[in-house]
Order: sequence, then C-alpha cells, then structure tokens
Amino acid sequence: MAQTQAPLTPALFQVLVALADGDKHGYAILKEVEEQSAGEVQLSTGTLYGIIKRLLADGLIVEVRRRPALENDDQRRRYYRLTAEGREVAVAEAVRMEKALERARTKQLLKVPKPA
Amino acid sequence: MSQTKQPLADRFFQALLRLLPFDFRSEFGADMEETFRAQRSNVERERGLAALLRMWWATIADIVRMAPREHASVLAQDTSYALRMMRKNIGYTISAILILGMGIGVNTSIFSVVNSVLLKPLPYAQGDRLVSLRQPEPKLGIDDIGFSPMELADYRAQNRSLSGIVEYHNMTFTLIGGAEAHRVRTGVVSYNYFDLFGVKPVLGRTFVADEERPGAPAVLMLSYEFWKQVEHGDPNIVGKVYQMNDRPHTVIGVLPPIPQYPNENDVYMTSTSCPFRSRLGSLTQRRGFAMNLFGRLKPGATPDICRADLRTISARLMKDYPKFYRPDSGYYADASVLRDDLTHTARPLLLTLLGAAAFVLLIACANVANLILARMARREQELVIRTAVGAGAGRLLRQLLTESLILALLAAVVGIAFASGSLKLLTQFAGQLTPRAREIAIDGWVLSFATLCATGTTVLFGSMAALYSRRDVGSGLRDGARAGVDRGRQLARSVLIAAQVAFSFILLIGAGLMIRSFLEIQRVNPGFVSQRVLAVGLNLNFTRFNTGPIRISVANRILEKISSQPGVLSAAISSSFPMDPDDAGMGGMRTTFLVEGRSQEETEKTRPVASFRTTSPDYFRTLGIPLLAGRTFTEFDRFSNFDKPDTEMVAVISRSLAQSRFRGEDPIGKRVSFDRGESWAKIVGIVGDVREFGPNHDAPETFYFSLGQTPFFGSLLMRTMGDPKSALNQVRQAIRAVDPQIAITESETLEQARADAVASPRTITRLFGVYAGLALVIAVIGIGSMLALWVRQRTREIGVRMALGASPGDILRNVICQGMLLVAAGLAAGAAGAVAVTRLIKALLFHVQPTDTYTFVLVSALLLTAALIACYVPARRAARIDPQAALRAE
Repeated sequence: MAQTQAPLTPALFQVLVALADGDKHGYAILKEVEEQSAGEVQLSTGTLYGIIKRLLADGLIVEVRRRPALENDDQRRRYYRLTAEGREVAVAEAVRMEKALERARTKQLLKVPKPA
Repeated sequence: MSQTKQPLADRFFQALLRLLPFDFRSEFGADMEETFRAQRSNVERERGLAALLRMWWATIADIVRMAPREHASVLAQDTSYALRMMRKNIGYTISAILILGMGIGVNTSIFSVVNSVLLKPLPYAQGDRLVSLRQPEPKLGIDDIGFSPMELADYRAQNRSLSGIVEYHNMTFTLIGGAEAHRVRTGVVSYNYFDLFGVKPVLGRTFVADEERPGAPAVLMLSYEFWKQVEHGDPNIVGKVYQMNDRPHTVIGVLPPIPQYPNENDVYMTSTSCPFRSRLGSLTQRRGFAMNLFGRLKPGATPDICRADLRTISARLMKDYPKFYRPDSGYYADASVLRDDLTHTARPLLLTLLGAAAFVLLIACANVANLILARMARREQELVIRTAVGAGAGRLLRQLLTESLILALLAAVVGIAFASGSLKLLTQFAGQLTPRAREIAIDGWVLSFATLCATGTTVLFGSMAALYSRRDVGSGLRDGARAGVDRGRQLARSVLIAAQVAFSFILLIGAGLMIRSFLEIQRVNPGFVSQRVLAVGLNLNFTRFNTGPIRISVANRILEKISSQPGVLSAAISSSFPMDPDDAGMGGMRTTFLVEGRSQEETEKTRPVASFRTTSPDYFRTLGIPLLAGRTFTEFDRFSNFDKPDTEMVAVISRSLAQSRFRGEDPIGKRVSFDRGESWAKIVGIVGDVREFGPNHDAPETFYFSLGQTPFFGSLLMRTMGDPKSALNQVRQAIRAVDPQIAITESETLEQARADAVASPRTITRLFGVYAGLALVIAVIGIGSMLALWVRQRTREIGVRMALGASPGDILRNVICQGMLLVAAGLAAGAAGAVAVTRLIKALLFHVQPTDTYTFVLVSALLLTAALIACYVPARRAARIDPQAALRAE
C-alpha cells in the first residue's frame, strides 16, 4: 500500500468518491465522475477500466457478487464497492486536499467561503 | 447476442479492445463494451454528433495510449514469473545461458571483424568509387610490374574513365628532428593524393599543387600515430622543421586515424621531395620504377568501363614501345576496386571463420533446444495445472516466449562480453590480413547482430517447446495420450543429439585439418638455422652515404665493430633477410636473365627469377645456409671503382635455380647477364634453398650478389652465443660509435620472424581449435544430460528389468548403446558433411588433403571416446539403481 501515501491522480480520486455512497457499475461511475466534476473530468472507457484494474489490484475496491435489486440490472454488468481501505485512502486524500486549500486561503490565494 | 446483429460501432469497439492484452480483455472486455455502449447511446441522445465524435476520439486515443502500458505490465508479470522459474531451475538456466552465450559470443566476435572489414564502407569519401591500377605480365608470372612516372603521365593523359590518378610509393628515410635519428616509413604521393581519397587532416592542411613542382621546398604530413607517439600529440606541430635527406622538411598537417593503404606510413611527402623519384633517371625511364597508382571513377563510369579504358591505353603503349612491353609477357593494364584490394586476403579467412562459428551456434542451439525439451517434460505438470485454472494456450505461449527472450538477452550479454574480451586478439589477427583491422569495434551493428542471433534462436526453440507443450496440454490430463507425445519428443531429442554430434564432428575435422596443416608448416625445413640470430634494420642516410665505396667502407666498419663484440659468433650485412616482415618488395623484384651462350629467344621463354639479395661474405655462415658447390663471397669480391669495375662481378645461386635453369650442366663458371649482355656476372657457388617468404611458400629461385659489388643494404645479422635479444643494446652502442647518423630500425630474432611468418595460419588454427573444443564440450554435455534424463524417466522400467534378472552390466551396456547409437548416427552424418564441407578450406591447408584419412580417423576416435565417457556417467547411475527402491518410488 505504499502508493496510498502519494497524492492520487484526480481521476482515481474521483472514482473512489463516486463509489463512496454505494456500489456502482462502470457506466454509473463514469457518469457520476462527470457530474461530480461538472464535466471537468471526462473519463473514457479505457481510462476508467485501467483505473478499476489498479484499484482492484491495490484492494481499494472489490467486485461485488451481490447485485443491487434494480429492476433493469444487466447480468453482464459488474458492480464495484469501496473497501474500508479504499475509503481510508479517499478520506486521506480529501483531508490532504482540504489542508492544501486551507493553506491557499491563509496565503489569500482563495477567498474564505461564506457559510452557506 | 450474435455477431451479425451487433451494430458497427460495437464491433469497432471490440476490435479496438483487441489492442489490449489478453488478460485485460478477458477480465474487463465484456463490461467495457457494456459501459461504452451505454455511454455512447447517452451522449448521442443528449449531446449530439459533435460530442459523440469527441467521445469516440477520446476513447480511441485512451485505449491506444494505455495498451503499451498494459502490455508492459503483463510482460513485467511474466518476467518476474520467468525469473522465479529460472531461479528455481538455476542449473538449467546457467547451462542454457552459458552454452548459448558461447555460441553467440564466437559468432559476435567474428562478426565484429567481418562487419568492420568486409561490410562497412571504406572510411574514405565515396570509397566504393576508388580503384587501384595494376600492370600485370601474366605470362611471366608477374602480378604487377608497377608504374613509372612516364607511364603515370600516359595514363593521366589518355584515360577517359577516371577523374584523377594519383601515385604512391613508399621509402624509408632517416628523419632528424631532435636528439635521436628516426627511421620513418615515408609515403611518397601526388599532391592531391589525400583529396582523391577524401581524407581531411586533423591539423593543418594537405598538400597543394605548388608543393609538387620540381624544386619546391619539401613539406611533410604526419600520420596520426606518428604524431601521437613520437610527437606526443603536440598541438603546435604544424610548422616544425625536420632534417631529412639533408634538406629541411616542414610539417604542414596531421592525418586522421584512418587505415593507410597500401602501407602504414609515419610521414608523407610529395613526389618531388623524394630523392629517388625526382632523380633524372626515374623521370625518363619507362620501366624499372614501381609506383602504385590510384584513381577515382568518373560519374557514370563502372569498374568494367575503367578496365576496358585502361586496356586500350596499355595496348597503345605496347604498340608504341615494343621494346618495353613485350607481347609474349601478356602485358596489360588493369584496375580493381580498392575495397576488394584491401580485403581480398582477409575475405576467405573471415568467411571460413564465420562459417565455423555458425556451426558452434548451431550446436549450441541444438543443445539448448534439447534442454528446453527436457525441461518441458518436467514442467508438464505445471503447465497442465495452469491450463486447468484458465490460462489460454496463447497466454501460455506468451509466458514461454517471455522466458525464452529473457534467456536470449542474458545469453546475448554473455556473448557480447565474450566478443569484447576477444576483440584485441581478433584485431591483432585481422591486422595480419588487412589494414582495415584498425576499424574493428563493437558497434551498433554488432550489438544488433548478437541480439538478433540470441532472440532468433531462442524464440525459434522457445516456440518449438511451446508447441510441444500445447500438444501436451490437451493430452496431459488424459493419461492415454502421453505415450505418443513422449515418443515424439524422444525422437526430436534424439535427432537434436545426433545433429550436435554431426556438427561437432565437422568442426573437429576442420580444426584437425588446420592443426595437421600447421604442423606440416612447422615441420618444413626453412633452409636456414633461425635459432640465436638477431636481425637489426639499418638505415643509411642516402644523401650522405651516396657512393658505393662510402657505403662499402661503412658496412665494413660496422661488421668489424660487431664481430669484435663478445658473444657474437659471426655477423653479416645484407639487403634483407629470410622472412623479413618489412620486405615489402617480396616477390615483386623479378627479372629475366641471359645465360652466356644461350640464345635470346631461349632466355625470353624462361620465367624470371623472383629473388635477389646482396650479402657480405659471412651471410651464409651466419644464417647456416649450406654451401653445396663452389664458393661463397670473399672480401676480394669488391669493386674499388664502380665506374670501371676492377674485379669480376660474381654471383651465388640457390639450388632450385641451379636445377631448373641449368639442367644437367654445372652452373659454376657460367656467366649470366641482367642487362641483355651489357655486363656479366660469373656464378661461383651454389647454396641451399631458403624459404624466403615463409615456411608455407616455396623457396624462390634466388641470386645472391656480393655487397662489395652491389653495395645496397638494410639489415645487420648476427649469430650470438647466448640470447640474441640481450645483444641488442651492445649492437646499438656499437653502431652509434661507427656513425650516430645511422638509424637502427626494428630488431627481431629470426625465430620471431619465422613465427610471425606463420602468424595468420597459427591464429586461424587456434580459433578453429577453440571453436571445435567448444563444440565438443557442448555436444558431450548434451549427450550426457540427455541420457541422464532418459535414465531418470525410466527408473521404474530399469528397476523392473533388474528385478526380472537383468544384471547391472546389462543395464550399463543398454544405456551406453542407447547413447552411442545416436553418436554413431551423428558421426556418420558428420563424416558425410565433413567430406562435403572441408573442400571449402582447401586453400587454407598446407600439404594436407581436405579428406585426410589420418585426421578423419583420429577425430572419430576422439569424438567416440568423449561420447563414451559422456554415456558412461548416466549409464553407471542406471546400473546402480536399487530395483526395490525404484519400484517403490511410483
């Protein structure tokens, strides 16, 4: 797990975030990443599965055998789930990013956000 | 979902996925298709055509970009697996790498020579357009009479195919530039010599036309080596003034380190600076001055056009000057491409060696293929299991090929290490054959050659093994099919063993013939006693020692001084000595002679004599050349007045000359003339034949003249009591005492000269011997390991037979028979092959037939003995099998 200490690539991070609120299949992840980033991060199928392969190999996500009970579930689709480790990595990355933002704000690179 | 109903886009995407490695596809392929389909229909529906095209573009680009990475990761996986497997079978791995590495090494080393000498273009600008000119007189047995300045002028004026003709000859002069006199090999050339070759100086400039005018101040170009070694690479060398031939010579430039042709020289001067070339006689004499000419083909002219052109001119010369170019000499002019000239001695030798090396590689390949097959037999279980857990045949093939490639690369590393280790030796060897030897290096081509050799052979054998395994994988789980596969594999292995034996036999025969031939050369009586004779090159400053009496007197002073040295038994001065490596004019000096009382026609029909030598009286005694009849020279055979000879000119002849030219007559007392009867020399003695040009060349018919009557000399010879080398310092001092301006050139013992004369056959014999030895070892290891495996696989069967009453002796015999049968088959094939192939090295053999029975018998015996030992080891193990343990084992 050495690489979890290193900053994640944005795409990798986005995939982890996309899986944070439940199991998803490939296309769902693709779509969510696009929406999360307001269209800024656009994954192609190849890139997505390259990331999935790496996350699987690192044990950050797993494939789930039990499928969500959706009416239009396709047998051929595979669903992925964030593991506890994956969650940790995603959180660590988010914290790291937050700290980075904080620093940027104290240096007045960014405005302090108004409370919502 | 059937293929035909799929929309084009899906099919295209599937095709795109094929770029990814098999593992990736089988894992994610279907899912990716699904995801892509969903994404595509969504984008098409919601965002229109432009977005769709953008998405396609991104998808294609990403897959193309990620494919190499994914393949690399599979490769890394396979590699680490392969390395693990190789570590597990470390014995197999090391032997395969070493055997293959040796095979590749010998090939790479020879290829590095072939590449630099035969394949690479000449290091001259447009080197393939350069030709060298010759004037042969084939009917007199003369390859080239050389060119005179008058002939040069004729060919320059009349040719239409060459854009320039330059001259070259080389001389040895004494150069005085510091404390010591140097004897320098000097190339005498036309001013545009280097321009024609396209050689640019590293310092200064080359000659200009004005410097070849008669009376122009003398200038010099230094060779790179002379500049580096003698002048220590002095950057301010241009402008330095040396004394040479009693004139100042100014350095104008330094040549780059290029192969110098026809000879290596220390310095170069223009033709007008050479005292001999510019002598009036040389300029007006049509014959008797032997220069080399080189030309550059005009655009559009081919070597053939040039040859025809030159022949027209030579025919015209023959018509205009019948006195000089006699029709019965077969005289004509010819040109050859410089590149062939530079390499024609090296080519057959190098190609022979490359062929021999290829045999070593073949044997190594057969051996490694056998190793792989043997290993496959042991890995069957592993492969079957991997197939059972879902690895496809393609996947396994890829794994096996990766293993082969790793093996190949390691073997290539071993091979290249071997080649660079032997580079120095090979450069030395090639140096005996061609001036291009200095270009030999391990460059990109050589590295590619080694890698190609390695990968080509291992991939071939790796996939062969994989094919076997593929067949196995299908059948491995069903026990019934195994026997058939085993039989097939056994046959393949047997053929490979027999092939190794056959190839080794051919190589051993080659080596055996070379060794026989070399022993023959060594056994030849050279006609002189070479032990404890030192030869020292002497160089007189020609302009100072310019008359006969002066030269005779200095020679006598030297001889007096040397003879009085302790430890010197006898000493002589001569024009050159037997097997003198510097005797560049060897065989080139030929002339016809007239015997008094015989007709002119009779004389002209005879071939000219090849060798002349001027000697002081003690020459024959010093070299141990036997006097057969008459007398040798005395101190009275000398002229005091060269314009009006006061004694009778005398000559001593060699035995073969006496036999071939004076059949049945006694030559002693006969008179011969070399100038058509203008002057005569009386034959006073006959001495033994001397193999002047090396033990593997016939002794030339030789005339000896007295130094006192033809005072030209270059060597001082002395027979010593002890080690001749240790006398050198003494000699140096003695000569300096006589005259400090006499330069001493190389010194060597006649033993060395004799050994050097056969350096090239010796090296080839050694290389052949090494190759054959290597081949024998590889083949013997192959036989031994195959039998060992055979025994291991049949432990149970042997146990059963022993339990049924077979004695250990029966088993021993049986196993040995198994092995020797293959050896015999290989030997028979090898013998047939050897008879066919050794003809190719006939030209390299001396007094040995390519089908020499003695060699064939001896080599067969050697190979059979070695094979027998190789068979005996596993056979003894088989004979010691404990039947009970063997039966319990399975």
